[in-house]
Amino acid sequence: MSFIDTLRSRWQEYRRPGYYENFDYAWTMTIDLDSCTGCGACVTACQAENNIPLVGEEELARGREMHWIRIERYWEGEFPNAKLNFIPMLCQHCDAAPCETVCPVSATYHNQDGLNAQVYNRCVGTRSCAVYCPYEVRYFNYYNHEWPSPLDQQLNPDVTVREKGVMEKCTFCIQRIRQAKDAAKDDGRRRVLDGEVQPACVQTCASQAMVFGNRNDSQSEVFKSMNDPRAYHVLEEVNTAPSVVYLKKVEVNG
Amino acid sequence: MSGIDRRDFLKLAGAGGAGAGAGFMMRESTKHPVEHLVPYTSSPEEFSPGIATWYNTVCSMCSSGCGISVRTREGRAKKIEGNPSHPVSQGRLCAHGQAGLQVLYNPDRLTGPMARTADNEDLLPITWDEGISQLATRLGSLQASGQGDSVCFLSEGVDGHLAALYERFMAQLGSSRLVHYDFTHPRTLYSAIEKLFGDSQLPYYDIGNADYVVSFGADYLSTWISPVNHSFGFGSSRKGVNGVRGRFVQIEPRMSVSGASADDWFAANPGTEGMVALAIANHIVNEGGYQGDDRDAWVSALAPYSPASMSQATGLSSSVIIGIAESFLGSQHSLAIGGGSAGNNTNGVDTLVAVNALNYLVGNLGNEGGLILNPEPVVGSGSGTLRATYTDMIELAEAARDGRIQVLILSGTNPVFNLPDAAEFREAIAQIPLVVSLSSFIDETSSLASLVLPSHTYLESWGDSFPEPGVGFSIGSVSQPVVSPLFNTRATGDIIINLAQEIGLSAAFPWSDMEEYLKEGWQQIYARGNTGDGTEGFESFWNDVVRAGVWGETTRGPSPEGLLEGVIESIDVAPPEFSGSSANYPFVFHPYISDTLEDGGAANLPWMQELPDPLTSIVYGSWVELNPLTANELNLEEGDIVEVESPHGRVTAPVFIYPAIMPNVIGMPIGQGHTDYGRYASGRGSNPIQILSPQLETETGDLAWAATRVAINPTGRRVEIVKTGGVSRELGREIIQKVGADGADADGADHAAELSSIPVKVVRS
Repeated sequence: MSFIDTLRSRWQEYRRPGYYENFDYAWTMTIDLDSCTGCGACVTACQAENNIPLVGEEELARGREMHWIRIERYWEGEFPNAKLNFIPMLCQHCDAAPCETVCPVSATYHNQDGLNAQVYNRCVGTRSCAVYCPYEVRYFNYYNHEWPSPLDQQLNPDVTVREKGVMEKCTFCIQRIRQAKDAAKDDGRRRVLDGEVQPACVQTCASQAMVFGNRNDSQSEVFKSMNDPRAYHVLEEVNTAPSVVYLKKVEVNG
Repeated sequence: MSGIDRRDFLKLAGAGGAGAGAGFMMRESTKHPVEHLVPYTSSPEEFSPGIATWYNTVCSMCSSGCGISVRTREGRAKKIEGNPSHPVSQGRLCAHGQAGLQVLYNPDRLTGPMARTADNEDLLPITWDEGISQLATRLGSLQASGQGDSVCFLSEGVDGHLAALYERFMAQLGSSRLVHYDFTHPRTLYSAIEKLFGDSQLPYYDIGNADYVVSFGADYLSTWISPVNHSFGFGSSRKGVNGVRGRFVQIEPRMSVSGASADDWFAANPGTEGMVALAIANHIVNEGGYQGDDRDAWVSALAPYSPASMSQATGLSSSVIIGIAESFLGSQHSLAIGGGSAGNNTNGVDTLVAVNALNYLVGNLGNEGGLILNPEPVVGSGSGTLRATYTDMIELAEAARDGRIQVLILSGTNPVFNLPDAAEFREAIAQIPLVVSLSSFIDETSSLASLVLPSHTYLESWGDSFPEPGVGFSIGSVSQPVVSPLFNTRATGDIIINLAQEIGLSAAFPWSDMEEYLKEGWQQIYARGNTGDGTEGFESFWNDVVRAGVWGETTRGPSPEGLLEGVIESIDVAPPEFSGSSANYPFVFHPYISDTLEDGGAANLPWMQELPDPLTSIVYGSWVELNPLTANELNLEEGDIVEVESPHGRVTAPVFIYPAIMPNVIGMPIGQGHTDYGRYASGRGSNPIQILSPQLETETGDLAWAATRVAINPTGRRVEIVKTGGVSRELGREIIQKVGADGADADGADHAAELSSIPVKVVRS
């Protein structure tokens, strides 16, 4: 077997579809663009849950926004037929994540729940992952951010506060997943039940546009939702196999 | 840690160092893919996540009254979520509700009582005893000398037992000047509902069960009345009501969040929304086969409003109006709502009467997916009658200027910021000998106070809330402290009780604190029955209510038999009047409640400043919205600073080119432009309320804040607008994909299967 063939077969083995079916969980989120109102509650909920720093106006002016989930907006048409479409954009937890293969120190990796996780204390801040990410959902700490007292009292003790020089991103609220697994274990159950864990964004979404759950469980809400005929992946052509599934917006004509 | 030793690690690191591409190939080709790098994100075995304590209480960030659950750890509040058993929030919450933690933990909160020094210069700390006795002495002597009416209590809109406590306190002082002021209060809607149905409360609009919703200017998903509840309804309706995907129509001069989410967005000329509603009604009555007994009355009342004759004034073609009318009539559960700028022109009440009359014409009153009236308020007379109008505020300012006000007690409201400069409210307050503030922050109004007795935030206080509008039946919640007080502050209710006792009103205020007073009040609610089996006594009832965070009765509100007599005959929408001539002021000014900062009250919350505006992605600033054609005509680009000039003043802000605003309308968000209010709010942007003309809504005397004309004067200066959004068009990237309702998308491909999950009924052909 040539080197290239070996490489390809290993690659196939690693990236074979359904890889995570061997495990208990494959966390997945669906976002129904027909229900999303673009209100931004998810953005603030995430900021509160995950100790996301305030970067200030100056940093924002330099494009250093820090929101693990953000609302993107795209206009189409011109007045009076102008339309505005919203799409919440967060880490897609790709099964074939370009950010993972590029990290020189393996600070970003895939865990067996199908999550793309970031090891903060291993990150050396090359920012390669942010360059490779087609969804632009990785955020870099250019500074040590401050929480003027007593704002620091709000910080979530289950989530680390990241330092200068470290890349950070959506974790699907891994601390909540851990908490739910812990509770299941205490209950003597092997698996977390459907609906027991919801990331902060999904929890708060007033228009019920988001569903989160385990796609290995064919009875779960998210399994049903991701098999909706309207389901699609953003930038499907880059073959990242995302764990975030969007449902197409319905357009009524005339 | 197994499976990787130091050597492997160095290999990996070396490969990465040789170049990203090479690193990626080497790593994947030399190692088995399943790795055992164990980061702290999967915690060590011995680590167990902390146990949080959750408290149910009520959100006070706006007047919707959403039930919330607050997660606390080690006595600190960490996260706010909606209370799933609360019928208003249904477990969900908006961005403002989430940001309530930053009210509690705001670094600019007042930490204790203060008084100005004799030379009126600085605020210096005092003790609570000093503060209370200073105020009590003043109030006591005024009350004793029969000048109680020279005391004014100016509060933010509150309801429930706190409002009742305020009323009792002012009555005991002998003052009639209890003023609740809220810029966002939908005064004109109250009047319209009263006119139509004789009901003094807001109705519940059952959006969740409606399949065709026409909104006239009401930004119901973001800033209007109860956004979380409406959004929940919106989501439910979009997922299908009896198998039909809800369809939403928005009619407004500038696209709001609700407009962006609507299926059809139409720009009618500002202030003509009521005429559109009557033209729709005209079509329903004349062509749509309306069969009511009162058809003749409708026909003659609506005769001047045929769709064809209205199209000139409203700017909507008659085919658009007829299309909406037919869909409205043809849908199972149609619903019309109105508010926002449509309710705040000079013809606001008439507009909303016209809009809500549509609900009558399709017979949705009291029905699923329709307009549902609420039962009598559980406590007091409901908030609608308490809130001050602009005219009330002007009278108050006059009284202050004439020296008829000796003491002003402020609590939570900021009229200096929320009233136009033309009201000269700041100057009026400066005439009052003693201004006392109970607010938690120094804002534009409380900065005029010489005595500061700061209150707890809502997360530290006892209170209750009876959401208005309810959800068609009576609900209430007890609000409980979720953390112990951070600073040397006191609950507003406790301050009032304490003051009353100092003045010598102990007979009327026998309670030791707000909690005791609240419990006594809830005894009466307990006595209403309908509280389960009721065998276990009040204490157990009280504990249940506090724990659950919600109390409710199944009794529904009255179902309106019909309209009040004479309504149909008097139905009429006069053309809107604008301040300023169209020659000197060519544009209609459209200030709107900010989606992130509300009416300015949320401007001191850094999360809200940093949350991109949903429609423009702008953060931390003000902007002026121009249609691309208008900008082109005036030779302006994004970031050009312009002066917006009205007959009553000028503000400056950079231009933002907004694709969905009428060419003759200038939009500007309310919320920025604070000169006080802490580090995050002050010195940022400008406040469009300043330049509004004191144009009044004809019936209520409230401010018609959408009735000012402006001119745009370029200044020649430029700034870079700070926003998070990049390219505003998709450029063929197909990021947001769509499927047409007829099963075909733009490329003509057949996607019928994609719609199988949501049957879409296309009403119009």
